[in-house]
Amino acid sequence: MVAPLLQVTGLGKRFGGLQALSEVSLSVAPGEILGLIGPNGAGKTTLFSTLVGLHRPDAGTIRLDGRDLVGLKPHKIAAAGMVKTFQNVALFLDSTVLDNVLTGGLMRHAIPEARELARRCLERVGIGAIAGKIARDLSFPERARVEVARALCTEPRVLLLDEAMAALNHAEMDAFMDLLRQLRAEGLTLVVVEHHMRAIMALCDRLVVLNFGQMIATGTPAEIARDPAVIEAYLGRSAA
Amino acid sequence: MSALSVRQALGLALLAALAIALPFAFEPRGYGIRILCLALLFAAMAQAWNIVAGLANQISLGHAAFFGIGAYTSTLLLIHFGITPWLGMMAAAVLGGLAALLISLPTMRLRGHYFALATLAFGEVMRVIGNSWGGLTGGPVGISVPFAKPNLALMQFADTRASYWLMLGALVVVTVIFVAIKRSRLGYRLRAIKENADAAEVIGVDTTRTKIVAAVISGALTAALGTLYAQFQFFFDPDTVFGVASISVRMAMIAIVGGIGTAAGPILGAFFVIPLEEIANQVFSAQAAGLSQLVFGVLLILVILVEPRGFMAIGPRIRRLLRREER
Repeated sequence: MVAPLLQVTGLGKRFGGLQALSEVSLSVAPGEILGLIGPNGAGKTTLFSTLVGLHRPDAGTIRLDGRDLVGLKPHKIAAAGMVKTFQNVALFLDSTVLDNVLTGGLMRHAIPEARELARRCLERVGIGAIAGKIARDLSFPERARVEVARALCTEPRVLLLDEAMAALNHAEMDAFMDLLRQLRAEGLTLVVVEHHMRAIMALCDRLVVLNFGQMIATGTPAEIARDPAVIEAYLGRSAA
Repeated sequence: MSALSVRQALGLALLAALAIALPFAFEPRGYGIRILCLALLFAAMAQAWNIVAGLANQISLGHAAFFGIGAYTSTLLLIHFGITPWLGMMAAAVLGGLAALLISLPTMRLRGHYFALATLAFGEVMRVIGNSWGGLTGGPVGISVPFAKPNLALMQFADTRASYWLMLGALVVVTVIFVAIKRSRLGYRLRAIKENADAAEVIGVDTTRTKIVAAVISGALTAALGTLYAQFQFFFDPDTVFGVASISVRMAMIAIVGGIGTAAGPILGAFFVIPLEEIANQVFSAQAAGLSQLVFGVLLILVILVEPRGFMAIGPRIRRLLRREER
């Protein structure tokens, strides 16, 4: 097996009395699409926030290409090449769509190049036509795509997508999955949190299942679909 | 986008000509032109405040600290070493920037009210120091700029019109700096921080460093303007130059009333607030001293309730309506 690009070992995070993550270990190979699933409150968003440095873990290591990221601020982790989108969408609401995305490009480029890059990112995500709109005036699915374009504009090596396909219809979802596969073909590594099982099963090479902050299973989509622990976590004890 | 259209350039040129010629409509040493000078100075101060508060939404209520540092620095250098206020102003800017750096390191992690309160405390600490360290500042009695024969080298003028042009130049400089920052990478980063600090960090904005850089520029400019104030008033005391109401809150109010985060906002705000304040003082001071302060409190509350984006929001509102009709 190739050396992993992202390697997480023994990650733990506690908020007061709540153990949000415990002993989470996973590795993502370069060019892989890893799916992260689990019931609500399982710790998926907390894991993403910890990976990009918004939370400092209590235990464990996060290595990107061998370099330990624990304790670095989010902008340093972004510079190292790992960026996430926000589940509840965190755009710069009073700025235009283009300025939102452009700001992601400023980490590595001057304004004119960042603007060109931002236009290309918007085109790729399929929303080039709304570049001049103010983010506040967008629909929720549009906002989610701006999130993705802005993250792409930082030119990441690892992109963490937190329910970026929420509120997309079937056709839009298929187009979005095509985009993700294409990005992967260009060398991007993806970790995807998603509730749409159809999408996640079709898209991901491997899945990791979280429940109550712990990993309960990992494997190919087919393996996960028949794992008794996973079925129990999702459907309750009687169904297992 | 960054280049001006011909129409805009002509408009600006016309405005500049008007601004330069305006003093000729006033008595050279009269009361009116002094009000104009103060309006220009406060416009420049509010513009300097606007760099951090307007672009990054870090509302400082302690900018009097930098202003007072600037007023005392140049004045003390002049009194004790005979150093011209032009150089004193440079020293003031350096010290003001340094003070901003020192106060930013612990406070820039704070957001919203917590940042406002911390900066308010910093301004008050400077006022108390100014009052109690009499050996340096002259204490509560105040300090006078040594009077010299009017000459440009010592920044003293017989004709108030010269002060007017100096203040006008200062306003232009600070406004140009504000606009340049707003259009630069620093400006984009400050706006990102204002609109969503966590998202800004995650996409690679060093939020702490960005805010500190802006605060240092803002503090340095505010201190330099403190020197201009000292040279204009000739006499000041700690309660005036380090004052919460006289400086800190007034800078904030002018920018907020005019339109926070915009280049024209502080200018509109100053030319509304400063003359109105003078009128209110004259009208009310005979019957009820302090009533004018009340009027201003009410005014500020009204602006924040009715249109928190100030006078400048009126233009975009109309433009947005027009754009909608085009579609």
